[in-house]
Amino acid sequence: MDRAFSKFALALLATTAAAAAAFAANPIADEKIAVAKASIDRAEQSGAPQAAPVELAAARDKLARAVKANADHDRKPAVLLADQANIDAQVAEAMALQARSRKAATEFDASMQTLRQESTRAAQPAQ
Amino acid sequence: MNTKLLTAMALALSFAGCVSTPKTYPALDTARTAVQSAEADPNVSKYAALDLQAAKGELQAAEAAAMKHDEPGIAQPAYLAAQTARLAQLKASAKADDARVAAGQTDRNRIQLAARTTEVDTAKEARDQANLKASGLQAELDALKAKPTDRGLVLTLGDVLFDTGRAELNPGAARNLDQLVQFLTAHPDRRVEIDGYTDSVGTDSFNLDLSQRRADTVKSVLVTRGIDSSRIASRGYGKEFGVASNADSGGRQLNRRVEIVIGGENGEAVAARGRS
Repeated sequence: MDRAFSKFALALLATTAAAAAAFAANPIADEKIAVAKASIDRAEQSGAPQAAPVELAAARDKLARAVKANADHDRKPAVLLADQANIDAQVAEAMALQARSRKAATEFDASMQTLRQESTRAAQPAQ
Repeated sequence: MNTKLLTAMALALSFAGCVSTPKTYPALDTARTAVQSAEADPNVSKYAALDLQAAKGELQAAEAAAMKHDEPGIAQPAYLAAQTARLAQLKASAKADDARVAAGQTDRNRIQLAARTTEVDTAKEARDQANLKASGLQAELDALKAKPTDRGLVLTLGDVLFDTGRAELNPGAARNLDQLVQFLTAHPDRRVEIDGYTDSVGTDSFNLDLSQRRADTVKSVLVTRGIDSSRIASRGYGKEFGVASNADSGGRQLNRRVEIVIGGENGEAVAARGRS
């Protein structure tokens, strides 16, 4: 085989491989973005828009930037941003759930106090 | 000499500078503080141990990057460590509240059950007392041999308590009236009507008058024994409303009688009988 052709073929192959690597979908970034999206959806459904608007907005912003970086084949920032968006969304969801649990516990305490007072009163002998 | 000393000092200083000033990274400090705070939270180890472990893992990655002075490599794990530690505390707080409510439900059920039991007991007590009162009343009425009628409870005093043609009470009537007095004293809200009746022997006007005088006699006895006269009405019905035939002496004896009608417990007056 011609040595010049061989060199050319090798170069072409290398270029093609590099191009394919650059333009192929990035499975890791895609997966991280999907995970972050799911976390944001969950946060939105659990009341985070009211309970944790700042954290949720940060998560959405980072997700949008991750999607853009991924589209621009800027892989590393896409992965990092998607990871941050994911944890921000989880924090937002946890804030909403925590607020809900705290409210329920406070209401429960109040109802228990009322109940105790009533039962104390009921235990008094009738006149 | 002077030069040597200066060189030594400069060397010493440069070594000191190298050793004593490790570089600080604010993101790493934030992460350390957040993880320490989560570690110190007893709810976290109980309810969010896995999240705490994840936060510690990210913190270790950030520390390792700092050791290698890999400044760009610190920011991401440090941020994830801080947020994961925060997540652990939030989850643990929610679970602790939920657990407290769940445990409290048992207490609440117990208190509610106790309250209901008390209510039931109170109601039962009231019912028992009512039953006792009712059975007491029943016993009293049984003693008086009173019979329930449309007008109220009727107690009949036979004419053996009166001499023929006279309105004075025989001493033998005392016992029967004692029980009536007791009953009226125990039930001060009840009113009575005393009705006199005769047989058909003699004129109507004589019989009406005699029956009224016999009723009045019983009334005056009750008043003498302390019953308020306003509670007692007396009427003479003469030969009306006979309870037996006037054709024989036995029937006539049954017809010569005084009936005491006991009114309701709410103090209603006893209605007079319509003439037949």
